[in-house]
Amino acid sequence: MQRTILITGGTGTLGRALVERFAGGRDATIVVLARGATSAAAGAMPPGVRFLGGDLRAGRTLGIAAADHAALRASVTDIVHCAADTTFNRPLPDARAINVDGTSAILAFGAECPRLERVACFSTVYVAGRSTGCFGEADVGGRDGFVNSYEQSKAEMEVVVRDAMPRLPIALYRLSTIIGDSRSGTVTGFNAVHHALRLLYQGLAPMVPGHASALVDLIPLDFAADASHHLFERAFGPGSTYHLCAGAARSATLGALLDATTAAFERHRPAWRKRSIARPALVNLDTYELFVRTVEEAGNDVLLQATRAVQAFAYQLAYPKMFDARRAEAVLGPAGIEAPRVLDYYDAVVRWCIESNWGAAA
Amino acid sequence: MSLNAVGIDALTYWLPEASPTLAELEARGTVRGAAALASFGFRQARVAESESHVDMAAHAVRSLLDETGTPPDEIDLVLYAGALTSSTTMECGPAPAGSVLHMRDFMDFFKYPVSRLQSEFDLTNASVAGIDQQGCAAIFSAIRLARATLLAEPDVRTVLCVSADRLPHDASREVVYNLVSDGACAMLLRRGVRNRIVATHQVTKGAFWDAGSLENEIIAAYFPTARTVIETTLRKAGVTLDDIAWVIPHNVSLRSWEILLGLIGCPREKLFSENIGRVGHTIAADNFINLRDATDAGRIRQGDLLLLFTFGYGLNWSCMVVEH
Repeated sequence: MQRTILITGGTGTLGRALVERFAGGRDATIVVLARGATSAAAGAMPPGVRFLGGDLRAGRTLGIAAADHAALRASVTDIVHCAADTTFNRPLPDARAINVDGTSAILAFGAECPRLERVACFSTVYVAGRSTGCFGEADVGGRDGFVNSYEQSKAEMEVVVRDAMPRLPIALYRLSTIIGDSRSGTVTGFNAVHHALRLLYQGLAPMVPGHASALVDLIPLDFAADASHHLFERAFGPGSTYHLCAGAARSATLGALLDATTAAFERHRPAWRKRSIARPALVNLDTYELFVRTVEEAGNDVLLQATRAVQAFAYQLAYPKMFDARRAEAVLGPAGIEAPRVLDYYDAVVRWCIESNWGAAA
Repeated sequence: MSLNAVGIDALTYWLPEASPTLAELEARGTVRGAAALASFGFRQARVAESESHVDMAAHAVRSLLDETGTPPDEIDLVLYAGALTSSTTMECGPAPAGSVLHMRDFMDFFKYPVSRLQSEFDLTNASVAGIDQQGCAAIFSAIRLARATLLAEPDVRTVLCVSADRLPHDASREVVYNLVSDGACAMLLRRGVRNRIVATHQVTKGAFWDAGSLENEIIAAYFPTARTVIETTLRKAGVTLDDIAWVIPHNVSLRSWEILLGLIGCPREKLFSENIGRVGHTIAADNFINLRDATDAGRIRQGDLLLLFTFGYGLNWSCMVVEH
């Protein structure tokens, strides 16, 4: 039976990588639903992938023409919902528009699809929010509040998803922070980690909240795509939640990451050493917030922007935690899919950032 | 106390009488962000009206010699520290608009403040030298060199260290969120005396020499480097922060000290901060004005370990541990 796989957010970092993997299959028609789809974006897709301009914020019509909507509804067998606003410090109503309301819309659409067999929804392990310690795949996040609007909107999205699970075959995949490709270091989607790296490089990050020994969980894009593709295609578990993360053994401490960062700057830009930029100090949250408040009161626009850019991401570092991924690893391990050690590919990512001037030259 | 140890045997300072408030300074146009400065802990500045920096240095030295009854011929070495370029020559102000130095003749370049002090106070047995290009850390560098000289040269028994800086008339007194005052300090260093200098440490980062174009980078560099310098000094002294009774600061904003204390994990109560609001940042003399006032106020007991830290353009981070 011919499958029709609808992928939302197919032009995003993860979405694009998944489109490539699904397009490699022979028995499926791939339809990418993307907001403001352009011919250039369509042209960047693998051959045979159908591009459809739409907008999840339009509600259950998905912002597509009625005829397209009806045809899609009749044919869709799989939904891979990647569309998300991953900006950490977006105003909460704006973050909810895509992450919560958009998810409601796609699930409402799914409920109208008679051939629907599988739905993948993507979330973040950081729905754990301000909680510390071990966060499991069955745990619900947000008990202790959230660090930023992204986390909160994703936790609210999970409520919508769990409510729909009794009616729809949904698996939930919580991703750790994606920082680039483990083989080439290429970064296709810049996030707060890369912005923080740039501030470190420019010498505008005097301090970071967190403990040197705190583990920072990061994953490469190729692992995120391979793992979620495998779980969806080969071991679909409706009603289940999976953590796609590095885990304690393959993560690095914050202190080690800062060391690796400055080492990479010096290795790939020897002139950087001459600038005598100090390694940021690791501080407690109170001290960091006092610095942020001081910069605000001083009215220093440059440092204000820099601290705000670091703030949304860095605050999470003040709440050390580990993610239990046993359910995902039980499936992925036998298939030989595991996240690489972050320090094995981190240097390549930093190098790519430097050499591309954080994407400006790419 | 070991005769191989060097300490600050006596210490005085001199501040101008005029102490305009932030509002008054704002009305004069020498401060723009009075509200922010107030929230950072400043209340007033000390502003020299008619005195030059050399006059202020002379006031401090006269007070020191009178107070201690030190005969001028006991002084073996004078180290004169100036943070501002204008502090290393005789003529300072009033300077023409747009200028700091006011030279009327080529030979003015060779009129040295330290020579003038030697002459004025009959320091006939002393050799004299100037210490500059250290920013607000100038007096720390002078003390470091004085200590090294006392340890290396047996015939040098008493070193006079002096520091004096004043801003040109009508110059902005607001520098990187700090309120700058005029002031001077003078001290005698000898072997085997109180205020034993246990350890010193200095880090210089010439990459930031063009301070005007790198203000944000300098603010960002300040905190992590300050922590490193303080921790290194403590290690060199063989002590920990728990052993430190008082942190004797340079009078930059109280807020920045609160942040730095958070970085190094030091309780706020250990900071002698009273002078930040009422004196302001006298460029290089702060720590020693504060040391004198804390001593006079009976806050420091014999044997207390003190941490003195300062920062100067250049950039220079300097720190010392002193046993009172």
